[in-house]
Amino acid sequence: MTVEAMAEPPPARADEPPVLVGRGVTKRFGATTVLAAADLVVHRGEAVAVTGPSGSGKSTLLHCLAGILAPDAGEVRLTGERIDGWSEARRTALRRERLGFVFQFGQLLPELPAVENVALPLMLGGVSRREAVGRAAQWFAPLGLTGLEQRRPGQLSGGQEQRVAIARALVTGPDVVFADEPTGALDSETGLRTIELLTGLAARTRAGLVVVTHDAEVAARCHRTVVIRDGRTIAGVRA
Amino acid sequence: MRLLRLGGRRAWSAAGLVGAGVAVATTLLAVALGALHGLDARESRTGWRTPAAASPEETPMALLRARTDQVAGRALEQIDLVDPRPDAAPPPGLPRMPLVGELWVSPALADLLRTLPAGELADRYPTATPAGVLGEAGLTRPDELVAVVGRPAGDPVLTAPGPSDVVPVGSFDRTEADTTVAGIYRQLTYVAVALMVVPIASLLGASARLTAARRVERLATLRLLGASTRQVTVTAVAEVTAVATVAAVVGVAAQWLLAPALAHISIAGGGWFAADLRPSPLVSVAIVAGVAVLATGAAIGGLRQVVVSPLGVARRQQPQHARLIRLLGLVGGLAVFWIAIVASQGGPAAVAGLIFGVGVLALFGSVSLIGPLIVRVLGRSMTGRARSVPALLAGRRLLDDPKGAFRPLAGLTLAVFVAGFLAPLTTVIAGEVGADDGVLVLQAPAAQADRVAAAASARLATLGVAARIGPVTAAGGPGGTAETGVSAETGVSAETGVSAETGTTAASGPASPGNPGNPDGSGARGTEDIVAVPVLPENPADRDRVRTALAPLTPGSLVLTRAEADDEEIVLVEDLRRGTLVVLVATFLIAATATGTAAAARVLDHRRPLRLLRLAGTPLAMLDRARWAETVLPLLVLGGVALALGLLCASPFASAVLVFSPSGLGLLGGVLVAGVALVAATSAASRPLLRSVTAGPGRED
Repeated sequence: MTVEAMAEPPPARADEPPVLVGRGVTKRFGATTVLAAADLVVHRGEAVAVTGPSGSGKSTLLHCLAGILAPDAGEVRLTGERIDGWSEARRTALRRERLGFVFQFGQLLPELPAVENVALPLMLGGVSRREAVGRAAQWFAPLGLTGLEQRRPGQLSGGQEQRVAIARALVTGPDVVFADEPTGALDSETGLRTIELLTGLAARTRAGLVVVTHDAEVAARCHRTVVIRDGRTIAGVRA
Repeated sequence: MRLLRLGGRRAWSAAGLVGAGVAVATTLLAVALGALHGLDARESRTGWRTPAAASPEETPMALLRARTDQVAGRALEQIDLVDPRPDAAPPPGLPRMPLVGELWVSPALADLLRTLPAGELADRYPTATPAGVLGEAGLTRPDELVAVVGRPAGDPVLTAPGPSDVVPVGSFDRTEADTTVAGIYRQLTYVAVALMVVPIASLLGASARLTAARRVERLATLRLLGASTRQVTVTAVAEVTAVATVAAVVGVAAQWLLAPALAHISIAGGGWFAADLRPSPLVSVAIVAGVAVLATGAAIGGLRQVVVSPLGVARRQQPQHARLIRLLGLVGGLAVFWIAIVASQGGPAAVAGLIFGVGVLALFGSVSLIGPLIVRVLGRSMTGRARSVPALLAGRRLLDDPKGAFRPLAGLTLAVFVAGFLAPLTTVIAGEVGADDGVLVLQAPAAQADRVAAAASARLATLGVAARIGPVTAAGGPGGTAETGVSAETGVSAETGVSAETGTTAASGPASPGNPGNPDGSGARGTEDIVAVPVLPENPADRDRVRTALAPLTPGSLVLTRAEADDEEIVLVEDLRRGTLVVLVATFLIAATATGTAAAARVLDHRRPLRLLRLAGTPLAMLDRARWAETVLPLLVLGGVALALGLLCASPFASAVLVFSPSGLGLLGGVLVAGVALVAATSAASRPLLRSVTAGPGRED
């Protein structure tokens, strides 16, 4: 996916099959049930916020949906294909090729310049270094990062670093982007600008977006909010 | 300490890594210093065998002659005390001065006297029953064979051929063995210690930096929060110092416990008293203190950037460059080495090894200085040419932190340096060792050679021992080698009739009873007078029987093969070989620990980005390949440079081309295989750690 290919985000269509579906997702750690039959549906171009108190199971739900953790019960489908029973190796390849991730902080490799951090997923997918760096560089202007391509992560501000991470998450044209507290380490103003960029770009690239957040203002920037409490999804709120 | 105590499992794991590295380094340091202590102790125990000579106006306590006999394939130190004064202070290990006709033996020789037939050992002495047993104070090691024989004035032992001198004893109270060989061992030990000390210090430094590196971001946060420079330094250094001190105590204790095993390593003909290999309490305390100080210094060095620029370190703004000025270090190291070579060749022999050791240290330092620079250049080259993710990651990491990347390789690089130094020497050493042909040599005045040969034949015939005797040769002259000294055609079995080929000549020259020759003709005792009557027992197992039976034919002299007569030199050569192996093994042990510790540390230091990369779908194998790429290529290049410097270091002793001999190539090949295997092993060893820190979605840091 190149930046030139971006278009205005189409509205989420109810008749289009969802890109990501989690049904009855259950996860236990020892005797503790962290997720108890949680449900979540995400359409292409749609941003869904997952909120809830600390320890409610938000991140665990994200990890199960993203194939990082294998759920103990329930099912997870990506573009209609059930992925919850896949081997670790297949799930690793899935994450690399079809999913994108934005974390709270410290996600960029400190040794690599910003542009190579963005190019990394492409290279991991077999794209040549020259082409990967070229395609990565195209994401810098839309994200307001022009001129920062060769800066190392330590030379970027927190907001800039997070925008580089967004570019890295989107550069492969993923089906779904998962963001775990993407604004948690930023001041509120930078955080809101960052989430707006993330939701906007995800919509334009028709990627589903799942944002785990504590921040009501961040959740408000998403199309829909799902509240999770004691491991259960209890509400879906249209923003 | 609170950071450590509350730091959780990972904090303790990191502290454990530091502790393990420091403990191993300390153990090896204690082993190296223990070897010096052992040599001191040995000299102290055997100094009485090379006693201080009495002044001309003083009546000697006895006339002493120390020689090395052989029995059961082992060296037997024979100390003859001629005309001993019974009231004189005895040598160490003896309750009183031996009387004329008495035999005092070491415990091991007492056992042999009990188990061997008298015809193989006891008949060599005036009495078969020892008057007593020598105490440990007079022995170099528990299993040493020593015989002290009291002899009457004018005993033939004073004039018998042989290389050793007769000393009129003024006092046995001497703590230094005044022999050339003892000096050589001391100098070699200095060089060996120098070869090991730098890798040990490097391991200490690498280990000490682990905790500092692990905590650098939290400490920078403390600094950002307003903690003073002093508070930050104390916070981090206290932890490292505490861990290093405990580990150093463990290391010294480990050496103490290992001493009995180390005592089996044969140097100068045998093992050691375990206690001799243990550094004194004062030295042990100094080791612990020194290690704690070194570790603290390394930790402070690692923290300097936190203290100076907390923002920079917290956000890792500044790449850790290795500057070109390090090249000056190489130039300086070469200059110091050259000066040391010139000084050691022209200076006093007693300190030659010490001076050369300084030169070795200088070259060692050079390797350590230019290592990061080489890593940086390699990193730049790899980054520019990288086409794959592992190559790009490896190149960027090398470029980002050349010093950190060099640290895991420093030990191996220095091990290759040591191998480069030792490889040509092993070739030289290999050429020095001669085989024992089994031909015993009776040394007799030329005029009596025929009679001695005939008597030998008769005696052996009486005993029923088959042996070939003759022809008689000039001791040490052309054709006088043992290989040609026995003629199968002319030798006649003693069982079938006594006959000796006596048709050769004795060398001319004045007789000098006090200056006889020796089996290899190298002695200064008038070799022209002495001829060699070779005797080859047909059954090698009869050797001790033959030498015991024939000894009385040349009173006072020892009956040895040429190889046995050269025993001290052969033992030295074998020790050089063994020492080479010990130093190499020790260096590789240090390298293995350093490489393993540092590899694990790098995983811990980079655990967050590594984990997130893996969560984002990067296969573990790819992360492993990146680690492999950032290790192997630098190791090969650094190894090449270190090898060249090692060969340079050996150049005063041996031509560098000797490294291409089979033994040299074997050693280097072994080092290369061991080095790569070590990298593979340490990489594999830290793989579970990599898997562990990158597995799962945990947020722990």
